Amino acid sequence: MTHEEFDSIAALDALGAATAEEAESLTRHAAGCADCRRARDEYASAATMLASGLDPVAPPRDVRSRVVDAVREDALADVVDIDSRRGVNPWWLATAATLFLALWGWREVGIRVAREHVRNQQAELKELTEQNALLRHQKERLSAEMQALGSAGTQTIALSGQQAAPTASARVFLVPEHRRAIVFFSNLPDNAKDKSYQLWIIRADQPKPQSAGIFDASNGSATITIENLPVATEIKALAVTLEQRGGVEQPTNQDFYVLGKT
Amino acid sequence: MSVETTALLPAVAQGDLVAFEELYDRYSSTLYALLLRILGNPEDAQEVLQEAFVKVWTNATSYDASRGSEVAFLISIARSRGIDRLRSRKIRSDRENDAGREISVVSSFVENKTGADDAIQSQERKAVRGALAELPEPQRVALELAYFEGLSQSEIAARLGEPLGTIKTRMQLGMKKLRERLRAFKS
Repeated sequence: MTHEEFDSIAALDALGAATAEEAESLTRHAAGCADCRRARDEYASAATMLASGLDPVAPPRDVRSRVVDAVREDALADVVDIDSRRGVNPWWLATAATLFLALWGWREVGIRVAREHVRNQQAELKELTEQNALLRHQKERLSAEMQALGSAGTQTIALSGQQAAPTASARVFLVPEHRRAIVFFSNLPDNAKDKSYQLWIIRADQPKPQSAGIFDASNGSATITIENLPVATEIKALAVTLEQRGGVEQPTNQDFYVLGKT
Repeated sequence: MSVETTALLPAVAQGDLVAFEELYDRYSSTLYALLLRILGNPEDAQEVLQEAFVKVWTNATSYDASRGSEVAFLISIARSRGIDRLRSRKIRSDRENDAGREISVVSSFVENKTGADDAIQSQERKAVRGALAELPEPQRVALELAYFEGLSQSEIAARLGEPLGTIKTRMQLGMKKLRERLRAFKS
């Protein structure tokens, strides 16, 4: 038989599809032929590609403990087997086995505690990262607010309380060059959990009000920053209504809480 | 073909149970998927997975890194156990009665290749699927029937209604192409 023929047999053998005679002749030949031995091993590895292409599926967790238990028993049986062949006293054997299991259990507990510790630290790190991001965001917002308040071109607009909240008021700091505004509200009644306050911009160039954002009032106060404002000359008025939680496309009522014209 | 990872089998061969557990964590999903594919039901697959890992534990000393990768060694043991179980429980006769299901299962690689889950697959798996998808359909079907169902050349010929010589040629050509792709991965 030629090397090419053995190569073809090796291809089939890797799939378990060579006949018994073919497999046997390949084994005999490969023992003395490095090229065919390499071909056989390469085909065997190539066949495993069929398995490697499958989507992995995690087995149920209890299978892991069954496997580990079975292997541990096997390891223990080896120890017992070796010792019994050496004629070790069964009492010592039992003690050794108990000690082994106790040590194993202690190790398992140690690993679990360490894993739990790592999990807790990871959770803590995640929380700190989130807090850091929040603080950074707050810092950026405060910087923007400070810039708005201190800028030479900043305009202020006063909004006054309406029938729904006569004592409420708001002050708008408008920074035309950055198309940004910061609005400070005071004496607004706290909104119910299923409601949001919504700030509307009434523009000279558009027939319908444009939402500038939603906010909640806490202890009568609230602050909202508006970005990408229309240019100041287009703002005719600003008003606040109470809407369903999350805001609406257009105001659903005329019960303004504060209102101010530019 | 495989990504570079620390070899665990030498430690397992020395009786290192921690290395064995790591080996399980690293490869159990691959082997379980293979056994599910071969046996078709989770109970059998879980039982054989356990047997296979115990065999890995007892046979780790026979692993020769010069003959193939660690995962190839494990796959070979799991596949061999799976095919033994398939034969001993005569599951094959049940599966043969379900010819329609066979076709859809056999074609699973191609269907998954273009699925939305590609984003989460490893580069290696993508490459393997690419290689398998490049095989002509008749060659791939013949390889899969042999590999996943343990069918002999004549059984495959009977199943597909093709001459034995045709099946043999398809399998040899398919394997040669896979071997070439494997060499390309390695290089």
